[in-house]
Amino acid sequence: MIRVYKNRNDIPEDMEYIQLNDIYFNETTCDMLDERAKDIIRKIDSSELISKYKIRTRFGDDILNIDKISSGCKTVLNVLYNPDKAFWLLDCGENALEVLMGIEKGNVFSETPMLPFELSPVEAYTAGNSRIIDDYEELKEWWRHEE
Amino acid sequence: MKSRPVVMEHYHKVHTTYVVDFTFINNITFLTGDSGQGKSAVFSFFEEDAARNPQLLCFNYLDWRKDIAHTIADAEGKLIVVDNADLLLTDEMRKHIALDVKNQYLLIGRDPRNLYATKDNIFELVSERKGEKTEFRIEAFE
Repeated sequence: MIRVYKNRNDIPEDMEYIQLNDIYFNETTCDMLDERAKDIIRKIDSSELISKYKIRTRFGDDILNIDKISSGCKTVLNVLYNPDKAFWLLDCGENALEVLMGIEKGNVFSETPMLPFELSPVEAYTAGNSRIIDDYEELKEWWRHEE
Repeated sequence: MKSRPVVMEHYHKVHTTYVVDFTFINNITFLTGDSGQGKSAVFSFFEEDAARNPQLLCFNYLDWRKDIAHTIADAEGKLIVVDNADLLLTDEMRKHIALDVKNQYLLIGRDPRNLYATKDNIFELVSERKGEKTEFRIEAFE
């Protein structure tokens, strides 16, 4: 289940926080991809992972370096392959959020509510307290409420 | 917030098989939508054009450590294109942008707070195959 932080200070000191998803993916996560990445890249970007570092895009079937996948897709892959780190969430569009919220384990941070309409249960974490939320309105309320 | 574009109403750019054909109806265009629609690719075409087009000023996450607030404050007569706007634009910069009558803005991001934006300002990217070309346009975000 994804753990969501809405306050930067709530991220544990021993958990690295990554704000620049693009750079972290290009430098680190891109080397970690396996079969799971294929499905995610297809779902979010409608692109096909054709080799470890190449994609065929939906725009004219161009074959490009994997650094050209979307920032939202990179964020989801960062979270999936680095469950010990927290990642900035605002690079994700609605379609990426839906995929991200279904990941088994990972950590994200955003002060701004970022909710997909198709919501999987998430762990909302504030000031040492966590609760599981699977309702859109309840999660929106949690995100907007000043602790 | 509805205000006429002060720099350009139409932008056209060709990059190999890609064509950007944007019509602006507001001074602030906030471009959002699903991931993977080509927003950052389009930004890269603007960035390329900025090398020779003095009307363009482009910023993205690679400018995170730069003092873009001063660059924007000093700008005049520019279409300022900002990808990763959520990362780069502070609340103060957003308020400046909302009231700036000297420049026009194309902001790419998720959160239009403090821009006094209404639905008239929010757009999404659409693409259409035309033979061997792919054309990108903007449409009102639903």
